[in-house]
Amino acid sequence: MTRPPPPSNELDVLLRKVARRDAAAFAAVYDLTKSRVYGLVVRVLRDSSYSEETTQEVYLEVWRRASEYDSRKGSALAWMLTMAHHRAVDRVRAETASSARESRYITVSADPPRDLVAESVITGDERRRVIDCLDTLTDAQRQCIQLAYYDGMTYSEVSQRLSANLSTIKSRIRDALRGLRNCLEVP
Amino acid sequence: MTEPNDFELLELATPYGLDAVSREERAEIERRVAAAPRPLAAAFEDEVRAVRETMAVVSAATAAEPPARLRAATLAAATSGDKRQLRWRAAALASAAAAVVVGAAAFGVGVLMRPHPPSTVAEQVLAAPDVHTVSRPLGNGTATVVFSRDRNAGVLVMNNVPPPSPGTVYQMWLMGAKGPTSAGTMGTAAVAPSTTATLTDLGSSTALAFTVEPGTGSSHPTGAILAELPLS
Repeated sequence: MTRPPPPSNELDVLLRKVARRDAAAFAAVYDLTKSRVYGLVVRVLRDSSYSEETTQEVYLEVWRRASEYDSRKGSALAWMLTMAHHRAVDRVRAETASSARESRYITVSADPPRDLVAESVITGDERRRVIDCLDTLTDAQRQCIQLAYYDGMTYSEVSQRLSANLSTIKSRIRDALRGLRNCLEVP
Repeated sequence: MTEPNDFELLELATPYGLDAVSREERAEIERRVAAAPRPLAAAFEDEVRAVRETMAVVSAATAAEPPARLRAATLAAATSGDKRQLRWRAAALASAAAAVVVGAAAFGVGVLMRPHPPSTVAEQVLAAPDVHTVSRPLGNGTATVVFSRDRNAGVLVMNNVPPPSPGTVYQMWLMGAKGPTSAGTMGTAAVAPSTTATLTDLGSSTALAFTVEPGTGSSHPTGAILAELPLS
């Protein structure tokens, strides 16, 4: 089940209340965003118990830092997902630093780029639209998004993995994002 | 004026916005942006913003429902200031007595994020010299209260208690000389395989009782008492 993206101004209003320690507003923020936050975290971590812990940490950070959110600098959803991605990536990097996890990591990273969306149950227009836009990217571009965003690799690691030079990878990542942005009509 | 170095910094905005840089690179990039001429810094921030907004839209493709129990745990953890609730609850599954020991240890290390976290009700109860634990069956599961008379508070842990029927709630009552006082309700959504709740102001109550009540709860118990945990 996926909701449509939460209306940004609704989340803005709720976050201002959360900043004043309004528990009901916090519960509403959770309900509106939980599938986006948890879905992203579990996509990166691929482990449900780590993902629950990390998702909880994300919301505790939202609770503590709601007063720092500035709607002029971006949407509330992007603010929250930035925190979620950051925490998930920190965790996946900490784990892959230990060699015991390395084999799992390589297996995961070797997934075909299409895998980006394959596990998702396709429901709703918003998801359909995103998947259509991902399909407009080249395989090489999708692979870069997979490695650099969902697998938590740095762009240098991506360049090593793909045996491509750094500037190639940087421009491939940039082109992928530009393509997605235009297709999704993100201002 | 855009110099080659400036262009290189701008090129890093996309990987930076995607978190595809190492911790060291991140710090270095932030230092350079802070020192950069205003228009360059603005262009960098604009690209980072666009990357993050784009990926926020893309998150529709990876949306997935978290387990229902995470909601209650997260809301409780935020409002009680206890960021280790999940781990504590996991420990509580083993046994109530073990939960007290393991939980106390977890709280001991659960201060990584903030130098001086406020002491939570659960921490205070677990640290109390007169901490007591009492368990009773409830439904097919178990309700356990860890409480302290000194702290005038307790923590309820419910394991494998089935949620109440839709349209009803579990209501907790502190039983005392003056009759039952409501200690809160739990609706269908709030009851997960493992659920916690905080009890404050135990007062002179002698037991914690559970009933099923219609709607959002009652001012007095109207249903049969399903379980009664003596607070002594």
